Amino acid sequence: MSVVTKRGLARVEANLTPMIDVVFLLIVFFVLVSQIVDLENIKEITLPALIDPASEIAGEEQRVVVNVEPGIDGDVKRYKLGGQFYAADLQGIKAMTAHLADLYKLNPSLSVNLRADASTHYQWVEPVMQAVANAAVLSQQPNAVPRVNLVVIRED
Amino acid sequence: MPDGKINPFDGAFQLRAEDEIIAHTRIGQRRGRENARISLNLVAMIDVVFLLLIYFLTVTDFKLGEEIYRMDLPQRQPSAQLADPFELDEDPLRIFIDSAGRDFDQYVISLSGPYESPATFEDLYDFLHQQQISEVTTGGFFAANHPIIVQPERSVRWEHAIEAFNAAAKARYTNVTFSKPR
Repeated sequence: MSVVTKRGLARVEANLTPMIDVVFLLIVFFVLVSQIVDLENIKEITLPALIDPASEIAGEEQRVVVNVEPGIDGDVKRYKLGGQFYAADLQGIKAMTAHLADLYKLNPSLSVNLRADASTHYQWVEPVMQAVANAAVLSQQPNAVPRVNLVVIRED
Repeated sequence: MPDGKINPFDGAFQLRAEDEIIAHTRIGQRRGRENARISLNLVAMIDVVFLLLIYFLTVTDFKLGEEIYRMDLPQRQPSAQLADPFELDEDPLRIFIDSAGRDFDQYVISLSGPYESPATFEDLYDFLHQQQISEVTTGGFFAANHPIIVQPERSVRWEHAIEAFNAAAKARYTNVTFSKPR
């Protein structure tokens, strides 16, 4: 004997809960990431791109970022350390050195990420390395090691 | 009443009927309450959330493939200078880079000492790799910790300076630094 079960009309419904979960996670991710990028980096910089370089992926150690903001024809506009800008002259370099020395006092094993445009002339990049070396001395921290991380792009 | 007479039971009947209607209505309301579903109207929220998502997707810039070279700068503290007063300084290998071309997009590499100048950074890497003292190569001059100083000219592009550094780092030299521009 066959049994006939009467079912009502099937209701097609989308379960929105997982989608909302994922969308919220994405929003939280983008909010966090975009803040960090804006604070640290300058968008105008085109980093040197190297094919199969001997570089490594940056670790989780504490570091600050110095951006060398490019000008026209290999010149420089200014330097940016963290969220602060410094002029590309002697006074600016001195002020940046003092700022770095303060950071070394807080953390003697601090690393400095150096981001410079591929076309920027070396004469504008080298003062940043000098500033880092001088800041380590100026901080009077016996265990301060002046360390620069040169930032590049890996091209595959 | 059609004949105009008053029926004494008529009002009672009407009352009874009204009571029944009220009673039915109450039961209906009770059933309705039992079946009521509390639901949130999510449409507006989803609209806003998607707008936010699209905004962040378009605004955000990613640092694609950024990597670093770790470089310890020479220490100028007195403790570093007095590490071993009898130790002889090794004569560093200097890599000179000069800019060439109208837009400084060309480069010329030369080396300190009696070595042939490499034409490209690949040649520089080959030279440094061959001259390293190791079990694989024979006849090398430099240990892995031999000091190598990259010394670019003032107008050399940063990408060329870093390529010279990369050649030394790729050849597994551990003591590579930059110097003041020439």
